[in-house]
Amino acid sequence: MIGFFTGVEAFFTGLSRIHRLLPWILAYLLLLPLPFLLKFGISEYYVDLANRACLFILLSVGLNIVKGFCGQVTVGHIGLYAIGAVTSALLAINYQLPFWVSAPIAILITGLAGIIVGLPSVRLEGAYLALATLGLGESVRIMIAVTPAFGSSTGIMMIPEPKIGEFIFNSFESYYYLVMTCAIIGIYLSFAILRSSTGRAFQAIREDAIAASVAGINVPFYKLLAFVISALYAGLAGALFAHMPPGYLHHNNFTIIEMVTLLLMVVLGGIGNIWGGVIGAIVVTVIYDQTKDYYFYQPLIFGIIMVVMVVFMPHGIGGVVKQAMIKRKFIENQEESRGSA
Amino acid sequence: MALLETKGLSKSFGGVQALQDVDVHIEEGSIHGLIGPNGSGKSTFFNVISGVYRPDSGSSVLFDNHEISQLPPHKITELGISRTFQLLRLFLEMTVLENVMVGYHCHTPYGFLSPILQGSKVREADEKIQDEMIEMLQFLGLASYANLPAGELSGGQRRLLSLGRAIAMKPKLLLLDEPGAGLSPVNVDHLMHTILSLKEKYKLTVVVVEHILKVVMNTCERITVLDHGQKIAEGSPEEVKNDHAVIEAYLGREMADEDIRQVIRA
Amino acid sequence: MKKGNKIISIFVLAGMILSAASALAGEIRIGITMRMVSENGQKYGQMVMDEIDLINQAGGINGNQIKATLMNDECKSDKGVANANKLIFQNKIHLLIGSTCSSVSLPIVDVTAKAEVPQIIPHSTNGKITQKGSAWVFRVPVSGRYYAGVNAKYVGENIGMKIAYICAADAASQNDCDAMQKQMRMQHGAEPVYVAQVQEKEVDFRTHMQKIKSAGVDGIMVAALAETMARALVQSYEAGIGPDVRRIGSSSASNAPVPKIAGDAVKGVFYAAAYSDADTRPVARLFNEMVRKRYGIHAPDHDFSQAYDLIRIVEIALNNAKVSLTSSSLKADRAAIRDAIAGIRNYQGLASGPISFCSDPSPVCRDGNKTPVLIAYTKGGEQYETEILARVTMPIDFGL
Repeated sequence: MIGFFTGVEAFFTGLSRIHRLLPWILAYLLLLPLPFLLKFGISEYYVDLANRACLFILLSVGLNIVKGFCGQVTVGHIGLYAIGAVTSALLAINYQLPFWVSAPIAILITGLAGIIVGLPSVRLEGAYLALATLGLGESVRIMIAVTPAFGSSTGIMMIPEPKIGEFIFNSFESYYYLVMTCAIIGIYLSFAILRSSTGRAFQAIREDAIAASVAGINVPFYKLLAFVISALYAGLAGALFAHMPPGYLHHNNFTIIEMVTLLLMVVLGGIGNIWGGVIGAIVVTVIYDQTKDYYFYQPLIFGIIMVVMVVFMPHGIGGVVKQAMIKRKFIENQEESRGSA
Repeated sequence: MALLETKGLSKSFGGVQALQDVDVHIEEGSIHGLIGPNGSGKSTFFNVISGVYRPDSGSSVLFDNHEISQLPPHKITELGISRTFQLLRLFLEMTVLENVMVGYHCHTPYGFLSPILQGSKVREADEKIQDEMIEMLQFLGLASYANLPAGELSGGQRRLLSLGRAIAMKPKLLLLDEPGAGLSPVNVDHLMHTILSLKEKYKLTVVVVEHILKVVMNTCERITVLDHGQKIAEGSPEEVKNDHAVIEAYLGREMADEDIRQVIRA
Repeated sequence: MKKGNKIISIFVLAGMILSAASALAGEIRIGITMRMVSENGQKYGQMVMDEIDLINQAGGINGNQIKATLMNDECKSDKGVANANKLIFQNKIHLLIGSTCSSVSLPIVDVTAKAEVPQIIPHSTNGKITQKGSAWVFRVPVSGRYYAGVNAKYVGENIGMKIAYICAADAASQNDCDAMQKQMRMQHGAEPVYVAQVQEKEVDFRTHMQKIKSAGVDGIMVAALAETMARALVQSYEAGIGPDVRRIGSSSASNAPVPKIAGDAVKGVFYAAAYSDADTRPVARLFNEMVRKRYGIHAPDHDFSQAYDLIRIVEIALNNAKVSLTSSSLKADRAAIRDAIAGIRNYQGLASGPISFCSDPSPVCRDGNKTPVLIAYTKGGEQYETEILARVTMPIDFGL
């Protein structure tokens, strides 16, 4: 199994030597026929599931940047998701802006909100930071719940679908290409950022903020940057969620329960592992879907998974795979150098 | 010429005066020792110089003609001071290579937005940095562990890595906080040898805080002695060794035979 | 590289595909999505499943068995929509029942309209559900637009014009609160004396109660979910507001936790609903007895009666629908079932009035029950009792 992963990695590294975008283009091409495979192989519903998985990938990859890489315990991510969704929806409904305008504005506004959610991180750490961000996230939801202009209790209805000219993204398949493209770009950007000095700065802050600051990293700036980047992801996911048919938003979609689900994705996939966020989002979405018929035991199932993961696999599925790959490479290198000596 | 000069450097925590009016003068290109008993303020001195703590008002720290006493740590590092920690503070879950690359942070030739807009530029720059860092790791004997998490290194290797991370910052002044703590005498000698060769290789000025007096006496050109947050002596190893105040600080007050008898009787 | 692992993953994928492709012909598939969170909600979902089992045991519908799939939407719209999509596109259902929450039913209306699947709603009261103009939606309960009218009529004629409002932030209560204020204005020209917006699960109403007390009102409308309402009622007496000030409940006042938690504070509270357990008709007596025996519910509220009526209506419609139930006739079968439900006229069940549908996709045709009853509590606690104050049939286009 590990051999398979190292093989895939070696293949993609080889491709990226030719051109750095080549692996991504290949991955994109491989994902293009997926809705048809799902539709005719299993059922149309799985295209919808894939769409939701893509939304969660964006959310958990974004959360992983601030939580997994920068080590800032935030529980306000779901509030940012709500801001992105509601902003884009209201711009589209009240000002008749097309999705292509309303979504970028929503993403920018969510990014600004990210600064506010991130500000406590300059002074607070751990549980205190979690509490502060929890307050900010919940207050967003309550604001939506009590303000009629934001939908309050009836929710926001009839949010128009994105369209290009006459083509409307109103089917599972067409929406798939929208969210899948966004998810791939999101994952690619997260790789680009996290594999640069910015990403290393995030991780250094997670590992030891004092050592990081002495290593020349502007710690408050990079903490805020992590919050803003993750907020941009949440904003994009929110906008995509708002305009996804049937185009309905309700504050119930942004409670602490959803936040815990998001955290579960990150923990399950692997904190501080880019693929971890992706794996976690897919695994949780699929498990959740497959256990629908046993709704009575669902919280129990997820609770057990969470405990088992934290105790036995603190680095998640992604972490386990990564560690095994690193060890294998190290042993191979040692053997090689012994062989040549 | 003095590379680092402190004047009236003070730091108090609540009522405790950790540093009091310390004037230190460190020559460019020298290797300077900083000794003193436990709690004498050596680590606080380092923390204040590197910006982890802000000194009390009225203190002045002049580095390379810049007043740095009120600057945040990353600005101080940018100006050319790097340090190690007594407890190492390595980034344990990052690889060895990443650890030293974090050290390189403020010399990164691209901005924080470049990864999004100029992917190929970032990649080329990172590859160049990597080559440079691998070369340095080779010098430290850590190159074959480059892709292992730092947490999997042995104690001695970790000390070397923390040194490597500090060197990667391309400092003019390197502050070493007890580099030999927990090492066997043989290893300490080996480590000091490495430090001296690094100093030559990268044209560094070095300040060493060390408990093992032998190390300091043998390697340092000048030594400053702190006790209870105050400078009690400064000079060449010979001068310091014979200084009355230093002996008192380390061994307690020199007692005449008559005094000892009195103490025993009482 | 180990080859075995690759082969295993291919098998897993193949297994998923096979298990999904097992949608059988010759059965009527019904999907249900409900809020299966509270104890009441679960018993109520159980009753729906049990009733379908009973139909199957008695030989099914024209010899066809019903296969029902129940899913929990936790009263969350995203989960409800996902359930609806799964039921429609994966389970290939002929009919969707749900949801119990207005905020979940609202988006699902669009899903069923687009997928062309009939949807029948057990007890979401939000008026907008049928105002969307979907040809595929039917509502068994009384629409919120009638409730407010009945309450306001009774309050204006029997209680007075000075009314204070406590409105919790959940969808149904907000809707009830807004509609009541609007109706008081329209019918009697009465402005609210005091309006308090509170959290969905607010626990402390004391400041509001003090202000209401000093305002000297004729009545207090408490619009909130069951537990929250019970707390507010108890605190209104603690604040010293006497029994001469009448308490008006929102639609959730009918839920059993209200009299259980509020105890004596529930006495005199009245609300509009679609069913009263004080109903003396034999059919109601039998129903009360059945629910008490099977589910240990002391007195079923209109959530139970509406679910029961819904199943009966579905049974009648399915018996009338000309369906062929092959894998190619799914689209036609769904349309046939929709038309059969639209053909229901004057169904007399447990509900306070006859339930009728028609084929026009308008609220007039799709809000089945137009006759709310006004019910008042006469005794609180575990063994609570109610009486019927009035039974009012509203004009079909009322509140539009």
